[in-house]
Amino acid sequence: MNQTAALHTEDLSFDGILERIQCEWASGQVVGLVGPNGAGKSTLLRLLAGVIRPTRGRIYIRGQSISKVSPKDRARDVAYLPQQIPDNASFTVEQYVEMGRFPYRTLFGGLDRESREAVNRAMTGLNLLSFRTARLDQISGGERQRAGVARCLAQGSPIILLDEPIANLDVHYQLDILLHLQRLAEEGRLIVMAIHHLELAARYCDRLLLLHSGRVYAEGPPQDVLSERALEEVFQVKAKTYADPFGGHLRVSYSP
Amino acid sequence: MWQSCCIRMYRLGMSNLRIRWTFVALGMALLVGAALELSLGPVSIPVRQLIPDAWGYFQGVHDTNAIVIGAIRMPRLFVAALVGAGLATTGAALQAVFRNPMADPSIIGVSSGASLGAVLTIQLGLSQLNEWYTPVGAFVSGLIVVLVIYRIATVRGKTSIYSLLLSGVAFSALCSSIVTLVLSLAPLETMQQMLFWLMGGLDGSTWREVLMLLVFVVIAIGIYLTQAHALDVLSLGEEQAQGVGVSLQLTKQVVLVTSAFVVGACVSSTGVIGFVGLVVPHLLRIWIGPANRRLIISSAVGGAVLMLFADLISRMILLPTELNVGIITSLLGAPFFLFLLRRQESRMYRG
Repeated sequence: MNQTAALHTEDLSFDGILERIQCEWASGQVVGLVGPNGAGKSTLLRLLAGVIRPTRGRIYIRGQSISKVSPKDRARDVAYLPQQIPDNASFTVEQYVEMGRFPYRTLFGGLDRESREAVNRAMTGLNLLSFRTARLDQISGGERQRAGVARCLAQGSPIILLDEPIANLDVHYQLDILLHLQRLAEEGRLIVMAIHHLELAARYCDRLLLLHSGRVYAEGPPQDVLSERALEEVFQVKAKTYADPFGGHLRVSYSP
Repeated sequence: MWQSCCIRMYRLGMSNLRIRWTFVALGMALLVGAALELSLGPVSIPVRQLIPDAWGYFQGVHDTNAIVIGAIRMPRLFVAALVGAGLATTGAALQAVFRNPMADPSIIGVSSGASLGAVLTIQLGLSQLNEWYTPVGAFVSGLIVVLVIYRIATVRGKTSIYSLLLSGVAFSALCSSIVTLVLSLAPLETMQQMLFWLMGGLDGSTWREVLMLLVFVVIAIGIYLTQAHALDVLSLGEEQAQGVGVSLQLTKQVVLVTSAFVVGACVSSTGVIGFVGLVVPHLLRIWIGPANRRLIISSAVGGAVLMLFADLISRMILLPTELNVGIITSLLGAPFFLFLLRRQESRMYRG
């Protein structure tokens, strides 16, 4: 067992949705969870985030089990961004990013200097400074998602989990978010995200975990995981994969 | 350096100006309301005499004005303000926990539970043994109802907000019907005593009540403030809150139990007063935004202001008859509630 892995799981199971998930990821990479609807991607993320408890198995962060860690301590290690950022909330973007500092607040909720700086860095990093006082219910979905990533960044956690961060975004914001995540990984964080778009997953993730009916079908570099056979067996589509003529990354063509 | 200076200037921009003015306006309204509350009535006392007369009362002067101010109007003023502050801050906290702007202290069943407890202590004759048995009975039964509802809504360590709301409504109905049953079976004299208690109101407020309310309300506001940031994230959804390390169960328990204590204390001194907890935080949220720390502090002041003016209206509108203050808050609150409902619906159709 690798004690230095940022995140690893042992026999992780949940209520018939996930069965004996084993995974082990080091820092500094982007990991994509792929698989058809209902394969258990969101459930796996929620387990890793500690939002729900596994029925069996364990999750380790840098070799330490998270089951006995308090929510605040866990949040210092793992930031989790659920799929839905409410579009009717009237908090400002800055207030929302500040929420990422929750684990560091004092009893009556003060923010220290370090927290202020973390919030500023996160907002600068995601080009949100001009949106500081804009309200969450008045900005576009892409900007809201960027605010969500900034909130995770402000949290200062070495591991960031995101549930479909590019769903419902136009192509500009899809690339924008993915590039930001890639940069965060290069700075030494571990990014784990559920993602439906296979080509973007192949292009921007260092590793993929393909889930099929609650089990790990394959895990590894994108070109190994997304084989034509896997696409047919897991997604039940006929597909051809090939290397992109310009970038060399994996492309997928589906046959009707 | 220059950048942080700019940011600070920006922070002090429009929205903060509005928030400051809101607090200034609330503070002024509180002063005006308090002065009117002390000065108006069957014996009217000029405003410039208020401070000397109050000072006189505490120095042992016992002329009419000093007694009217010190023994009657000041306790009434403080009870009204503290109950208003307690109900409004509780409303703000519950609205955040339930993620529902319609939540109100009465919605978790604590008000009707407390009424039931009070009526039962009178029916069983306990109230004649000791004057504190009725408020304590109100208090304990309010707390029991909250705990039962919480237990019902909690499955496998997770509390569903919807079953909490629904069982609160069901329990309120149950308690109210038992209250009506007890009332209709009680002999006339007991029934009058019960009705007098249920109607509550601010008549006959004492310094002892002020002290009790002061302790409960101040501690409760302190507790709500420790949860303010957890409530901020929670109002965006439970998973968002868990993602940044909020202990959901802890926050829910702390807010529910605290609200049971505060509402129990309020109901036991003034009876059920509706809509203060609904109207005040809702209006202030529209005006100064959803951040709960500000909202709770401003709701405390706003609730006090609303209660003071409601009490003034109820005392003055049908002179010499005094109405119960709960009638005025409900007369104002019910139409406002309908307005909210209507607005929310039309917004839903638009969006």
